[in-house]
Amino acid sequence: MLARSILTLTLLTAGPLPAQTAAPALPGSAAAAVSDVYRSVVRIEAAVQMPDYSTPWNSGRFTGGIGTGFVIGKNQFLTNAHVVSNSSRLLITVHGSPRKYPARVKFIAHDCDLALLEVEDFSDFEKFPVFSIGEVPSLESQVRVIGYPIGGERLSVTRGVVSRIDFSSYSHSRADSHLIVQIDAAINPGNSGGPVVQDGKVVGVAFQGLRQADNTGYIIPTPVVRRFLKDIEDGRYDHYVDLGVATFPLFNPAMRRALKLPDNGLGVLVTNVTPTGACDGILKPGDVLVSIDGFPIDSAGQILLAGEKVDLNEVVERKFAGDTVALRWLSAGTWNDRDVALKTLPPSRMYAIQYEKKPRYTVFAGLVFQPLDTNLFATIKLDDVNVRRLYSDFVPKGIFTEREDIVLLTRVESDPVNSQLSGFTGLAVDKINGTLVKSLKHAHELLNPATPPDFFVIELFGAARPVIIAGNAVAAANERVSKTYDIQKLSNLEE
Amino acid sequence: MRPLFIFPLLILAACERHEAVVAAPAPAAPLATPPAADPAATLASVVRISTTQQAWNEGQPWEKQPPGKRRSLGAIVAPGQVLTTAEMAADATYIELESPDGKQLAPAKVIAVDFEANLALLGLESESDAKFFEGTKPLEMAVPPKLGDTLDIVQVEENGTPLVTPGSLLSVDVVSNFLPGQFFLTYEVKASMQSAANSFSLPVLHDGKLAGLLTSYDSKDQISDVTASDIVARFIKEAADGEYAGFPSLGISISRTDDANFRAWLKLPEDDGGLYVSTVKAGGSAEKAGLKKGDVIVAIDGHPIDRLGYFEDSHYGRLYWSHLVRGAKSAGDTVKLDLLRDGQPTIVEAVLDRRDEQDQLVPAYTFGKAPSYLVKGGLVFQELTRPLLEGFGEEWSSRAPLNLLDVYENPQKYESRGRRIVFLAGVIATPATVGYEPLRNLIVTKVNGQDIKDMKSLIEAFAQPGADGMDQIEFDEEKFSVHLDEAASDAVDAQLKQRGLSRLSRAEN
Repeated sequence: MLARSILTLTLLTAGPLPAQTAAPALPGSAAAAVSDVYRSVVRIEAAVQMPDYSTPWNSGRFTGGIGTGFVIGKNQFLTNAHVVSNSSRLLITVHGSPRKYPARVKFIAHDCDLALLEVEDFSDFEKFPVFSIGEVPSLESQVRVIGYPIGGERLSVTRGVVSRIDFSSYSHSRADSHLIVQIDAAINPGNSGGPVVQDGKVVGVAFQGLRQADNTGYIIPTPVVRRFLKDIEDGRYDHYVDLGVATFPLFNPAMRRALKLPDNGLGVLVTNVTPTGACDGILKPGDVLVSIDGFPIDSAGQILLAGEKVDLNEVVERKFAGDTVALRWLSAGTWNDRDVALKTLPPSRMYAIQYEKKPRYTVFAGLVFQPLDTNLFATIKLDDVNVRRLYSDFVPKGIFTEREDIVLLTRVESDPVNSQLSGFTGLAVDKINGTLVKSLKHAHELLNPATPPDFFVIELFGAARPVIIAGNAVAAANERVSKTYDIQKLSNLEE
Repeated sequence: MRPLFIFPLLILAACERHEAVVAAPAPAAPLATPPAADPAATLASVVRISTTQQAWNEGQPWEKQPPGKRRSLGAIVAPGQVLTTAEMAADATYIELESPDGKQLAPAKVIAVDFEANLALLGLESESDAKFFEGTKPLEMAVPPKLGDTLDIVQVEENGTPLVTPGSLLSVDVVSNFLPGQFFLTYEVKASMQSAANSFSLPVLHDGKLAGLLTSYDSKDQISDVTASDIVARFIKEAADGEYAGFPSLGISISRTDDANFRAWLKLPEDDGGLYVSTVKAGGSAEKAGLKKGDVIVAIDGHPIDRLGYFEDSHYGRLYWSHLVRGAKSAGDTVKLDLLRDGQPTIVEAVLDRRDEQDQLVPAYTFGKAPSYLVKGGLVFQELTRPLLEGFGEEWSSRAPLNLLDVYENPQKYESRGRRIVFLAGVIATPATVGYEPLRNLIVTKVNGQDIKDMKSLIEAFAQPGADGMDQIEFDEEKFSVHLDEAASDAVDAQLKQRGLSRLSRAEN
């Protein structure tokens, strides 16, 4: 993954100013017309509490950061999700005013890195101009990025040209890809969430940069913004929907001949259908998908949408749970047409960083069990082959249908009952007392029965032997561990 | 059309060899005790060895890597027979013996080699060089030394002067000194050595007799690993008849029983030892003898095994249990195991055999064996081996593709499929592989409907394309097949040959 998020979640430090963050002079002509709109670009100060996945009973680290937001309606401030993620306090400041307005998150969408904030009292903002949402800017056209990047306290404006329109990854969640626009204006920490303006309209939200390259900034284009705003109209944010299909390009002439396809450059091969997904039971591996909502799919999996070649998923991207897509495909020589109802795929969150969640865990006789997710993967070193396979197969192979969580033994807090067990950390739990472990909650129940068995037998994937804890030793061990390691709550089963 | 050559180099580095630690020249330390061996007399019993080694390129298996050279000092152990480490014989293309005075040279051949024990026995390539050994004096095997004994490490300087460094035998342990996971009885000798023309692959004497072979030297701690005389003597004895059988194994993996909870669950007595059997390898001598996962081994051949896996050796003191199998026995010998099965005492007698690495699904080493492969229309197929996995770099055990690592870690899941795991290692961009470039590291299950059991069966399966002139390739865990046009692939193969691929396939047994 090349794109790296602009890290707003670091406190600003005083230091020499990078040259490019100095505010450039505005062209005289445009200045008068647009300067009024600058009032509606606000500075967001976030106090953040980062959850601690390595010692999940602890409070986590307190930190903070600066980002940008802008007014898009009555008491509606749009910004990036990553500016306000895990926030414990939000303050909004207006350009040229010392006053700080307490704000809160109304809607947050981590999969497309957008959030909508509101202030407690909007009356001071009533007269502010409201940004209207424009279209996707065309290649080579000029845009302005407005925000509060590092290098100074006041508003900064930079200019750039649209250099690429692509379908690419959004680094905030580490798992999502959407339409993205690359510009050559400098986007620096603090710019995140700021408007990108063209002809007086917002054409994107500045959100990430690239560490290895100069003058590459990425903005969230308006189709993604519009989708977010439409999604929350019903009062809550649902996740993006997913087709649940993996495809392989069909360039190869031999491949086309074997599938009895004409040499017309159309169609992609279905290689996997996610169990329980939208297409489960409809498509199957080996089918050839040729059109989606009437758009012909080329052999690279692209469609022509509004004059641009985009990934076929772009059609799905703009839809919501319950909407349908019309698919046409070839299956074993037969043509099929069907409207497929789209739905979200909650288990795929396994691969996304989670925010605003309290880490789940249970401590049993000093053994710490946690559910496997990307947050945990990012925090502790997990290199056991079995664990990595369970992770990567979790959705594609439908492991989630059998196990809601993959439960890991992550730590052993030293205690006389477990002093020989430190070698077992980092392994996944298969069974407890012969019962297949389905979730962390299930593991917790199996480890805390009404009457303890003689022995708790915990079987781990890839371990040389089972982990054994004498049933009558658990209560005392729990008490000791809780006291010695200051673990106030021995379990947290809810996010 | 000119095919575009982009070699998907999955294998970035060659198989990392475990090299003996070579020390920087250190100032000679004052000798605590004069060497027991007469330095001048040792010259008649040692010979310099130079070897040229060239391994195959695991990433591009049709060619070899650049050759390298290595030197050592061998011990003459019988008329015309020289003992050295297996490292010297690994991937050797040319081995030459040289008398210490540099007057005589003779090409050598490998009589027997054991990569696991890191020992090799060399002889003359040609009988016509027999005069090379005139005037030499084979070393006798020493009685196994005891802890604290002084051992003499023999080196020969560039100018032919012998250099004998006495060292004290600090400890005896069962360690692995060349290949990971291969444990053999080893002496740890403390001596301050200098680097003298040879690498640290040297004879070690006790009272002028051969007590072992030095395999590595750590200049920082001044500790050498010396393969024990017991192992050396057994190797020479087994190699002498020309039919080297090797060191046997039981075919189990174990877990210690020092955890009180675990012992209580296993119903093991408080004051006893015992080793928990974690896995029993299919087809191994333990399985044939009826050993089961979950058994607890309490004694081997009457030696009680403690909960950490050690027994009391009458000569060396506490040693790891594996020596009772790998060091003390030969293939065909019987070993008696006292077990506790579900808390009940049981006795099992296992006839030991040698597990040949070539019979493993994923061989741990492939010295001297050319890798099996097939290049078909630009698709590159290989057989999975550990050296191939090691090509994914220093951290291969976490970097290599998961599906391949899974085979290596859990071979029992895959053993029913055949002799080897064949996988699509990568794709050379050719007109026949347009659109296939992203495919790599996929385990091949079937080609043209036939099960793939090894490289040979893959080549045979490709020889029978479908009636439409197409090959169909199916992969493990992937629910789609890839197709190759025979005519297009033949044209590509002809071009690849023109472009310097010496041959497009190799299937070693």
